[in-house]
Amino acid sequence: MGLRARFLSVAAGWSVLVAAVLVTAPLTLRDRLPDPIATHWGGPSGVPDGSMPFTASVLFQAGLWVLISGVPCVFALVNAGMLRNRANRMALGAVLGGGGPFFLGLQAVTLSANLDTPDWRQAGHLGWSALLVVVALLLGGWLGALAARPGPNDFPEPKATPPRRVPLGPGQRAVWVSSVRNGPLVALGGSFLAVGTGLAVLALLGGGGMLWIPATIMGLVGLVGVIFSSVRVQVTEEGVVLFYGPLHLPRKHIPITRVERAWSEELFPANVGGWGVRGLPGGATVMLRGGECLVIGYVSGGRFAVSIDDAENGAALLNTLVARASTASGAR
Amino acid sequence: MLLTLDMNDPRPLHEQVAEAIRRAVAEGSYAQGDRLPPARDLAAALGINANTVLRALRDLRDEGVLEFRRGRGVSVLSRPNPRSVIEGKLRSLLAEAVQYGYRHDDVIELIRELS
Repeated sequence: MGLRARFLSVAAGWSVLVAAVLVTAPLTLRDRLPDPIATHWGGPSGVPDGSMPFTASVLFQAGLWVLISGVPCVFALVNAGMLRNRANRMALGAVLGGGGPFFLGLQAVTLSANLDTPDWRQAGHLGWSALLVVVALLLGGWLGALAARPGPNDFPEPKATPPRRVPLGPGQRAVWVSSVRNGPLVALGGSFLAVGTGLAVLALLGGGGMLWIPATIMGLVGLVGVIFSSVRVQVTEEGVVLFYGPLHLPRKHIPITRVERAWSEELFPANVGGWGVRGLPGGATVMLRGGECLVIGYVSGGRFAVSIDDAENGAALLNTLVARASTASGAR
Repeated sequence: MLLTLDMNDPRPLHEQVAEAIRRAVAEGSYAQGDRLPPARDLAAALGINANTVLRALRDLRDEGVLEFRRGRGVSVLSRPNPRSVIEGKLRSLLAEAVQYGYRHDDVIELIRELS
């Protein structure tokens, strides 16, 4: 059985199993549960403050679980190559592994609070058992990721052609500079920042303390948006430096000794999981536009990619500098 | 933009930078109308003063290779003519030859032998 078939059968089996428990458990206890049943507890006192009809609550919980557990299956169906990468596979495993215990725990807590009460308003407090649901989520997520860990860890292989080099004499030094910026993303971040600033000014002028919350959120979202929607990349003898945003801060430095090789590759948001800064360290991508990307393979395994113009030249220079650094350290 | 400088080249730095940019544009990684990286970015990467890069860019504008536009930075106006590219390469070749003790006549003799 192939990797995809194996993943899909385990994921689908797990999804159906959890869904079955989510439906049968309340049905078997139906006689001892109120209808509607308490589904929401609020405030510091922890008394029930929301209810749902019995059938709707069962369908809602089971339906939400099927929807969430379906996401990894859809990912696996659409892009089988994704499963061959360990970080991606572990993320999908964590969703499945954490989601199941989370929904089961949620249901167990809800049912036990409602059990043997004539009306939902008299349902018991949740107390510390709510914490158990969070623990179940984290523990399940960890186990799910661990279960998905064994297997291949592939990154799309670079073209088989030997890397192009830049002719570089002993007395010569070469640098490569390029930048990319996503205009709409900059505009979006800028408008968030402007609205956040406006709200902050209103709050300062006495618009009420409540305004500070949206002002801070909008301001932070806008700031992050503006900073991470443009990037400049520089390759010198010291290695690769990425400068984010208009202020060229923050920056990310990859020393030349950490680079094994570099290549240019056509990547699109669909390949790397969306726009912006994506993925975990060791498989991260800065995706600001689809197309030509500079991909850097680390000595320690894993890779880093950034969408940038003229990546071919950047990769050629980086390979040249890596070769030069390794001969220099070999001669020492 | 890939720029190569020769540490042994005795010519003024801004001439060398201009030649490096001319070569990068001639090699075709920048098409007509493409915007160049900002001068301060190039200067930071090369570890030289931004004014030196600006002077090189102005020289290339006077040559008709680059175009300065307010608010849009510096962009490529046209490919440099082949003669100026060859000239630049010959200049750096002559400079290197001098390092090894060759006179210009020796280099001319060498080219005759090879062709």
